[in-house]
Amino acid sequence: MKFLTTNFVKCAVKSCDGSEGSFPLKYENCQLQLEEQDFNPEFIVSMLERLDWNAIIQVASDLGNNLLPSQKPEDIDGNSEMLKDLHSLLIETQIIDGEMVCRNCKHVYYIKNSIASFLLPPHLAK
Amino acid sequence: MLPTPIVPNPDYNLVYEPAEDSFLFLDLFEQLHNEEYFTKTTPSKKFSTVLEIGTGTGIISTFISTNKLIPNAYHIASDINLNALQTTKNTFENTRTTKDAYLDTIRCNLTDPFRLNEIDVLIFNPPYVPSESIPLVPSIQDDTNDDWLDLALVGGTDGMMITNKVLDSLDSTLSVNGEAYILFCARNNHSKVVTEFLKSHINFKVENVIARKCGWEELAIYRFIRQ
Repeated sequence: MKFLTTNFVKCAVKSCDGSEGSFPLKYENCQLQLEEQDFNPEFIVSMLERLDWNAIIQVASDLGNNLLPSQKPEDIDGNSEMLKDLHSLLIETQIIDGEMVCRNCKHVYYIKNSIASFLLPPHLAK
Repeated sequence: MLPTPIVPNPDYNLVYEPAEDSFLFLDLFEQLHNEEYFTKTTPSKKFSTVLEIGTGTGIISTFISTNKLIPNAYHIASDINLNALQTTKNTFENTRTTKDAYLDTIRCNLTDPFRLNEIDVLIFNPPYVPSESIPLVPSIQDDTNDDWLDLALVGGTDGMMITNKVLDSLDSTLSVNGEAYILFCARNNHSKVVTEFLKSHINFKVENVIARKCGWEELAIYRFIRQ
């Protein structure tokens, strides 16, 4: 699971919809791997616009990175260092193994072999 | 004409084998690319997040992402079947020639774990074959069970039981101006489905973007635009 995907997924349990704790999930016991990808600054600039920055900071912190600026970087078109850092974080950082916990219902989802699973047991599926 | 992705070493007892319906999607997205739909026709819109649910072998997401048919898009391909996701990774890695197309795979049921109104393009080639009932989801501990394949094929009454779930949540899945591309077969009674959908979704525009007769099957892909 790429770091960037953590900005788009929430707890899959229907009754958690809209609850504050269902996004971002809490990432625990995660093993990370850097997978080299080609750098596309245009992609980062366009993606940054729509990211939930607070969630980025929170998940990065879960994973042991507390170095992100507290405000979403602005006008970064020419700031190649920042763009490269974001590329490395969002696109190259893979969570290959770990747990994702909903802060609301406490359900634990697992990431194995880089694939996150959001399948629910029958009693939680709608 | 853009090349069709090759699926390396597939096990078609466990993953849906690409067929006319899959190829109709490839042809549609190539056509949209030739028309510059995702660049020129819609200059005010941005298509940053592309989600394909029920990706199977992943050839649709691989085709769109590796050929960069939607500029600067982040692709997520999901499936309920773990074998499908592993196959999708192989298809993608085997097809791409550069490392600047980005695709992630996640295991889930339809759109369950996605944040509301964050998807700009949704792609769904559903299990559309009418059947008396839909199969139960096998135990997630049993990934080599070929029951997983049945889930990719049959769609219950009118073949619409699964597609209806996606249609019912479309308003909360798509972003403002977001679009969904969903395939139907004639036995789904799609013109009636669309009429009913529009009655309860006045903020949507729906259009048939491609149709084809394939032997005894008649397939059509509709574009649902949330406005």
